[in-house]
Amino acid sequence: MTAVTADTASIVKGGSLRRSRRWALITSYVCLGLFAIFFLTPPFYALVTATKSTEEISNQNTSPWLPSMSPTLSNIETLWTQTDFPIYLRNSAVVTVCVVAITMVIAVPAAFSLGRMKFWGSGVLATGVFLTYLVPDTLLFLPLFKVVGSFGLLNSYWGLVLVYPTLTVPFCTWIMIGYFQSIPKELDEAALIDGANHLQMLFKIFIPVALPGLIAATIFAFTACWAEFVYPMAFIFTSSQQVLTAGTITTLVKADVYQWGMIMTAQLIAAMPPLILYAFLMDYYIAGLTAGATKG
Amino acid sequence: MKTTTVSRRKFIKRAALATTAAVAAPYMRTSYSAGKLTLGCWDHWVPGANDTLTAIVNEWGAQNHVETHIDYITSVGDKDLLTASAEAEAKTGHDIMQHRAWQVQVHRDVLEPVDDVIDRLVKDHGPIATISEYLAKDHHGKWKGVPTVVGSQVKPCCSRIDLYKQYCGVDVTKMFPFGDNRDKTLVDSWNWDLYLTTAEKLFKGGYPVGLPMGQTSDAIDWVGALFRSYGAVFVDEKDNIAVDSAETRAALEYAQKLMKFNPPDVYAWDDAGNNKWLISGKGSSIMNPPSAWSVAKRDNIKVAEQCWTHDMPRGAKGRFAPYLPFYYGVWTFAQNQSAAKDLIHYIVDKPQAKRQVQASNGYDLPAFKSYYDFDTWKTVEPPKGTVYNYPPRGDEELSITGYPARPDVAAQIYNQSLQTVMIGKVTQGGEKIDDVVKWAKNECEGYLRS
Amino acid sequence: MSDTIPRTAASGNTAAAIARPGSLYRMSRQRSTIAFLFALPLLVVIGGLIVYPGVYAMYLSTLNTRMNRFIGLGNYTFLFSRDTFWMVVEQSCLFAITAVIFKALIGIVTAHLVNNLPSKGQRKWRGMLLIPWVMPLSLSTLGWRWLLDPTYSAFNWLFAQVGGPQIGWLSDPMWARFSAILVNVWFGAPFFLIMYLAALKSVPGELYEAASIDGATAWQKLIHVTLPMMRNIISITVLFSLIVTFANYDIVNVLTAGGPRNMTHVFATWAFQLGIASGDIPLGASVSLFMFPILGVCAFFILRGVRQRGREI
Repeated sequence: MTAVTADTASIVKGGSLRRSRRWALITSYVCLGLFAIFFLTPPFYALVTATKSTEEISNQNTSPWLPSMSPTLSNIETLWTQTDFPIYLRNSAVVTVCVVAITMVIAVPAAFSLGRMKFWGSGVLATGVFLTYLVPDTLLFLPLFKVVGSFGLLNSYWGLVLVYPTLTVPFCTWIMIGYFQSIPKELDEAALIDGANHLQMLFKIFIPVALPGLIAATIFAFTACWAEFVYPMAFIFTSSQQVLTAGTITTLVKADVYQWGMIMTAQLIAAMPPLILYAFLMDYYIAGLTAGATKG
Repeated sequence: MKTTTVSRRKFIKRAALATTAAVAAPYMRTSYSAGKLTLGCWDHWVPGANDTLTAIVNEWGAQNHVETHIDYITSVGDKDLLTASAEAEAKTGHDIMQHRAWQVQVHRDVLEPVDDVIDRLVKDHGPIATISEYLAKDHHGKWKGVPTVVGSQVKPCCSRIDLYKQYCGVDVTKMFPFGDNRDKTLVDSWNWDLYLTTAEKLFKGGYPVGLPMGQTSDAIDWVGALFRSYGAVFVDEKDNIAVDSAETRAALEYAQKLMKFNPPDVYAWDDAGNNKWLISGKGSSIMNPPSAWSVAKRDNIKVAEQCWTHDMPRGAKGRFAPYLPFYYGVWTFAQNQSAAKDLIHYIVDKPQAKRQVQASNGYDLPAFKSYYDFDTWKTVEPPKGTVYNYPPRGDEELSITGYPARPDVAAQIYNQSLQTVMIGKVTQGGEKIDDVVKWAKNECEGYLRS
Repeated sequence: MSDTIPRTAASGNTAAAIARPGSLYRMSRQRSTIAFLFALPLLVVIGGLIVYPGVYAMYLSTLNTRMNRFIGLGNYTFLFSRDTFWMVVEQSCLFAITAVIFKALIGIVTAHLVNNLPSKGQRKWRGMLLIPWVMPLSLSTLGWRWLLDPTYSAFNWLFAQVGGPQIGWLSDPMWARFSAILVNVWFGAPFFLIMYLAALKSVPGELYEAASIDGATAWQKLIHVTLPMMRNIISITVLFSLIVTFANYDIVNVLTAGGPRNMTHVFATWAFQLGIASGDIPLGASVSLFMFPILGVCAFFILRGVRQRGREI
């Protein structure tokens, strides 16, 4: 597979043989098509299931892969009007937006400091930041419960706002460190000579130049917060404070009854906000990661 | 009212004797006009069951001028376990927490003794099921949890009347009739041997029984009942490992035969697997609370009309129904401990218990035998009397997997699903029974670590 | 010099407000102070929300079952004597390493394929291939659970139509392991795709031209140009993914809960069963932390290498 790819690459770059180039392109499309089938099967299946009623889902005589003969909107309707799903969606949005903002406020100056300036221990810190992922959230939630409790934020989504940065800050700092490092040294020397202080330098020069990296980090933080599961499971007990991931499961799975139609609907709705965000920011994202992580 | 006063006084005396001065002062109604109580309760799957509990708690709150608040915490994704562990660890959270079977032992060091509540209840309503006592008493003999009504469940057989008649010539409604006119010989004939022969016939008829063999509670529960009715003890009360026995081997051999007549995917079933099997109409019998029947009533009424909940098969050492009681526990760090205890008593007391059982369509099985006369089990249908035999009415004894080992050890036998893994190794993995027993012995040694 | 920095941290604040070209020494000292202040929020977050709880978690792993006695490494010596533990170690490694290898391979291949498309179509393909990664894992795994369900598996339905075999996706231990890895690869590969695609775009075109002039084959270009240029990003993604995959709880928990016969348990799910369900929190913590030193040392060296390479550029 890799050989084919490399082959394609060389031919595309060379561009001399038109016919083989076309063949290479067709091969690419076929291969990509196969991967796309793999990647898109579950979402497709979710979409099909979401249009069916409970009886139809458990009826094995009709194809599970084909959309319903009599598609129903009852799943989304029930989900939207008779469960707390809209509340979960709102809470998730609030938590995610706040955490992304906090993450940036913490990660950007820190990355600037670790990537461009130096202080005692900054090298170790830059490396050590990454190691924080080694303590898994399935263990961390116990002591964190204590921390959240001491702030009086148990059973409140603000408690999640407090703990989610543990998931986002380290990786975002890393991406940003790499990005800041890739900016030529002359730039800040020139700025210093012009009499700019470090804060001005960061905001006027570095952030604009590193904007794509910032977006890349934003997207990562967004996805991580949006999808987190263990913390809301442990910290939130009330529906009015619950977020999307844990809320969907606690609402739609009742002991041994799974409401598949609604679970699939919820799953698709939950994928929408990040998908829309990605669609808009994709190009920045690619560019951002390019310069950020490679040089990091 | 009078009786309560006496028991309270008794309690004070005992509390004074106990060196732990921290035990709560006796509850006095007048002293608490502005108190607040928070409860973390199991999120009942039966629609409306939560509302009834909320109403009961609110009533009490209004009578006693205590502000109450309930959070319903689901057991899906083990959310209840996560939350309780975190609260125990952080020493902050709800005042009253509902715990699943083993969790009282897990958290016993941070749970208040509730012997006073138990004493009051026992005085009024008679003895509590042995298994409930076994799971709730700590190593000093103090009760650390009060058995709930809500969520406590037993998992007897739920069989299809028509299929058993058609393929086996067995009428389960005659064997375990609606009413107390059981025929002893018929009841006695319902043993594991008959279960096996009927399972074979049903399998050949294309409607196999569905007995889960995964690592979730439905599988662990029925397998525990099977082992116990064969007399297999894994670890005894005195920490002796007794798994290497003829009884264990006999049970394994039996399971080897029985599993052949199950659908091959039972090894992957979660707690919903057997329900789906029955509801889909493909299955002839499962071992479950009446939840499967309830859902069938909603989704596939034809199946529901043929469902009959009845006793487990009998083995050489008795007939055992897997019981999974839930508990209310009061944290040692709870603010309003004596109010909490009074509320718990109110919830579990018979008049309120009756409403909860009604709201759960008979799913909840209280720990008091004297509660088994509730109307709900007589009235819900179709068919008439379908869950009448859900509470043990005959020689059936309540049991839990891992019993009679010390609860700390039994909890591991249960939670690490030792028994279902053993059967899986023999039947699915094709390992020798001797090797599997040896392996289990080694596992038990590990569980005994202090 | 470095020793003086913490002491000047407080006083340096005002002096640092305006940095003028002055003595090199003073400037660098101010610089360090400001740098430290900039990194302070990060230090607070890491200290308060990760190091403190992390150390506490480590402390937990040194206690006995009832958490009233310090037993040092006793939990580990106990674990090392258990067969089940080693089985879980084996499975976790199999699970994480296989999944990461496939994620990385699929990531590289798809990134190349997408990169070769005309730029007009790239965005569409990129968007499509990224979908698994944007669906919250806990929910999409539940969707997979339904796809692989013992009774209702839609794959088996397809097989049944063409007279193929019925596969016990979750009931046969080998297939169950396969399924757990499959879901992980499905979820994680797009992340690699996007990281690699970004990296591919950053390789300067001149390098390929130079290689072509030297008569390099496509394979040689891949080995000698593309991969070396992507070394850092490959290290970081693989490392990050490896750590996260080793810690993964959702997938196995939702799909198989460790069964059949404990043969799909990984560190996180087994630790949960020991720690939370069976009430032996210290033992569960020990299982969770077992990989910490191993991964920690690997990570430290990989990251140091990455940082050093980064500085050279």
